[in-house]
Amino acid sequence: MAIERADVLRQLDAGFADSPVVLSLGGTAREMLAVAGRKGNHLISLDAMGQTISLALGLALGLQETRPDEKVVVVEGDGSLIMGLSVMSTAGHLKPKNLAVFVLDNGVYLATGGQPTAAADIDMVAVAKACGWRDARDVRTSEELADAVSWAASAPGPVLIRVYIGTKQLQTNYFLEDPAILAEDFRRWLRSTRPAASVG
Amino acid sequence: MSIDAPAGVRAVDSQADLLERRSQAVIDGVESIDPDFVLHLASSTLKIVLDHFIAGAGVRVGRSVFAMPREEEGVAIASGLELAGSRPVMIFQDNGIGNLLTALLTLPQPYHLPLFGVVTRRGGLGEYNSMIHTVSERTEALLDAAGVRWFQLDARTPVDRWAVEIKRAWDFSRATHRPIFVLVNLMGG
Repeated sequence: MAIERADVLRQLDAGFADSPVVLSLGGTAREMLAVAGRKGNHLISLDAMGQTISLALGLALGLQETRPDEKVVVVEGDGSLIMGLSVMSTAGHLKPKNLAVFVLDNGVYLATGGQPTAAADIDMVAVAKACGWRDARDVRTSEELADAVSWAASAPGPVLIRVYIGTKQLQTNYFLEDPAILAEDFRRWLRSTRPAASVG
Repeated sequence: MSIDAPAGVRAVDSQADLLERRSQAVIDGVESIDPDFVLHLASSTLKIVLDHFIAGAGVRVGRSVFAMPREEEGVAIASGLELAGSRPVMIFQDNGIGNLLTALLTLPQPYHLPLFGVVTRRGGLGEYNSMIHTVSERTEALLDAAGVRWFQLDARTPVDRWAVEIKRAWDFSRATHRPIFVLVNLMGG
């Protein structure tokens, strides 16, 4: 039986409660809000399709000197990853040790009606390794996910975890927060959890 | 080869001289910002500038210089860097403006992030590419339509002012919490 997205999000929230977590748009962000509520360490990308990993890559590069022991965690979807696939080469080249990417792969653009993606024909683990990522793995069960969360927290990045999930969705409301507030909330969380002088 | 000039107008700059002097002004301007990250796209016009940061005197401890495969990816990476408190500068060519508009208008613009870019002009005087003007000539119109603030450095601004104006534009991006682009004409015009 497939793991559902909401269950994965609960595990990721619990596993990275004190780390920066960058959330992809659409159902991923809304379901995280439904299962975990607003969290200071969660940066929500509201509409930049295909750019979630790139946004997190910049964050990881900017934080790797001041927060070297902490992962910047990305929760991305298969469709959004494919829209910005070139970042796989950039991240593999730059190799930030503090970047961990979870790709929740349901094989469809669920938020827009379930149109199929090309993910079924992509070996994402092989792509990541071929692009120079330090490691990558597939996850199909809750047990494997729990193990992957622990592994991702400690393994040198960049690492990619492809989590195969089902297409069940939680009923959620639209999330209509002002993005300027989202950015400032996140920066405040960063400032509150490390020396103030190191965050602009 | 000197550029022809009307009588009474000084004609001292060859295309190569012009490119070199304006490129150095851009280098001086970006260096005055002291960026810790320089993100660049491939551009023959920018070769002197990019060589400085990739393998020249601009290489330094604590500075990371790397290529963006696409402008929109660079916008997203620079947005993350800004959130982390870094000082990123993007350097690219104006024919990539169309690529980055969606990322720009869904990340730094609405999230109020002070992203800064130096954008070299193509398609004008001195251009050797027969088609690039079709997109480059629309740069200002595209940015205006998107509500993105830009400043222009070309023959109307003495080249010895360029570095100062680039730094002022960077400061303006910090003051106004939004993306700011400086359009620099390295080829002429």
